[in-house]
Amino acid sequence: MTSYAYFFGCVIPNRYPGIEYAVRWVCGKEGFDLDVMDMPEFSCCPVPGIFYSTDKNTWLLLAARNLVLAQEERRDIMTVCNGCLTSLLKATEYLQDPKAMGRVNRVLAQIGKKYTGVPRKTEGRRKVFEPVKVRHYIDVMARDMGLETIASKVKRPLKNITVAVHYGCHYLRPTENQTIDDPNNPVLIDQIVEACGATPVDYEDKLDCCGAGGGVRSHVVDLANSLTEDKCKNISAVGADCIVTGCPFCLLQFDNAQKTFSKDGIPVMHVSQLQALSMGIDPISLGFDTHHVSAHSLLRKLRGA
Amino acid sequence: MGEVEKTFISGLKEKLVEEKVIDESQLDRDFAKEITKYGGKDVMTCLQCGNCTGVCPISLKIDYKTRSIIKYCQFGLKSYTLGTRWVCATCYRCYEHCPADINPAEVMIALRHIAVREGVIPPFIKVAATNLVRYGQSVKPDEEINKIRNELGLEQVHSSEPSYKKVLREIGVLIHASKYDKLIGIEEEVKI
Repeated sequence: MTSYAYFFGCVIPNRYPGIEYAVRWVCGKEGFDLDVMDMPEFSCCPVPGIFYSTDKNTWLLLAARNLVLAQEERRDIMTVCNGCLTSLLKATEYLQDPKAMGRVNRVLAQIGKKYTGVPRKTEGRRKVFEPVKVRHYIDVMARDMGLETIASKVKRPLKNITVAVHYGCHYLRPTENQTIDDPNNPVLIDQIVEACGATPVDYEDKLDCCGAGGGVRSHVVDLANSLTEDKCKNISAVGADCIVTGCPFCLLQFDNAQKTFSKDGIPVMHVSQLQALSMGIDPISLGFDTHHVSAHSLLRKLRGA
Repeated sequence: MGEVEKTFISGLKEKLVEEKVIDESQLDRDFAKEITKYGGKDVMTCLQCGNCTGVCPISLKIDYKTRSIIKYCQFGLKSYTLGTRWVCATCYRCYEHCPADINPAEVMIALRHIAVREGVIPPFIKVAATNLVRYGQSVKPDEEINKIRNELGLEQVHSSEPSYKKVLREIGVLIHASKYDKLIGIEEEVKI
């Protein structure tokens, strides 16, 4: 069985602790009982919109430091965020180049670390190394656990709930790194939603950007919000009860942007929160009080089922 | 959106229309080379087909045309593109649709590298980098959220723990080694 290391990143622990609770609950004894550990020494991935954008050397050093920690424990990194996924995954690709690896290791030596990748087998006397595996929570759930297992854990099917799924750009692209899902027709979150008993609904421009990425939210918030408004219009048009995404930064954008253009808004939650609901968690533990858009309407509908 | 355009596209079009004739001294002949230095592909191989602009979610909203930015890069109109590069959402749609395999998103990222080195550093970059040095995370830990974490039975965010000092020291060493603290002007003394 694969062993994992939690990688919650920055947004989840500091803005949406309910997601962290949901992931721990789903992966823990109450749920799938995975072999997963905390790595308190992990730092920020680092965030691609800041560090990858301004200095690739610094970005690679900081990402390599995180990768080394997972390498030492021989665990797959399980990210819960598209940004962390794309940043760490890209770093493993960069470090495949021996020159880049050498450059990074010369600096990492100053903090007593060395990135080699994980030894997988020996060929004669030679050890063969593989890059540290960086996975997304969705990937772990849909592929390692499987949809049937997800469905078998459901105690309270979310029968009358319709869900608009938002995948997020860095879950899909650039396709040279990401191979989790079909970039033009992604299905995994929809399938998880279905396995939880809810009904995923398609909407116009489903694969469009939420608007937040690449520093746009931090730099020109009106521009980011206007992109989100377009998405929300399309989602309202099909009458979805909530938006479900695999990325806390997209979630943050949907959650914050909606108060600028609509009174009530559509509740937004992370896949793990939806899964936890279907597995019978007390909704109070999902930290919906930290969300700006109230989840009351949704929870009322659930109780009425 | 008009206000946003005025502020962030820095009158690119107006500037071109007004000046009409571009003086040769404005051209930076090594600009394309400089872009490749920071990981962008050779912009000279761009076909100017415009697919990138067609699929760009930002170009629907403001007068920001990916194709035009690449064109200015080809000409070496370095100063003309200052300020335009921070509106790219790095959604990589342009990359998926580029027949010449330029990866315009990566060109934008290379342009950001150049901008930062020219001293054009948006405040949020400084804030996030400072947070990283101070807390090990780009998002500042929040007291209210920490209370909720407590209620949920989650541990406090690590950065406040003494054992996390080692992590912060390591981050400091790496940031200092790559001279990122000087480049960005991080408002925190990097301890080594």
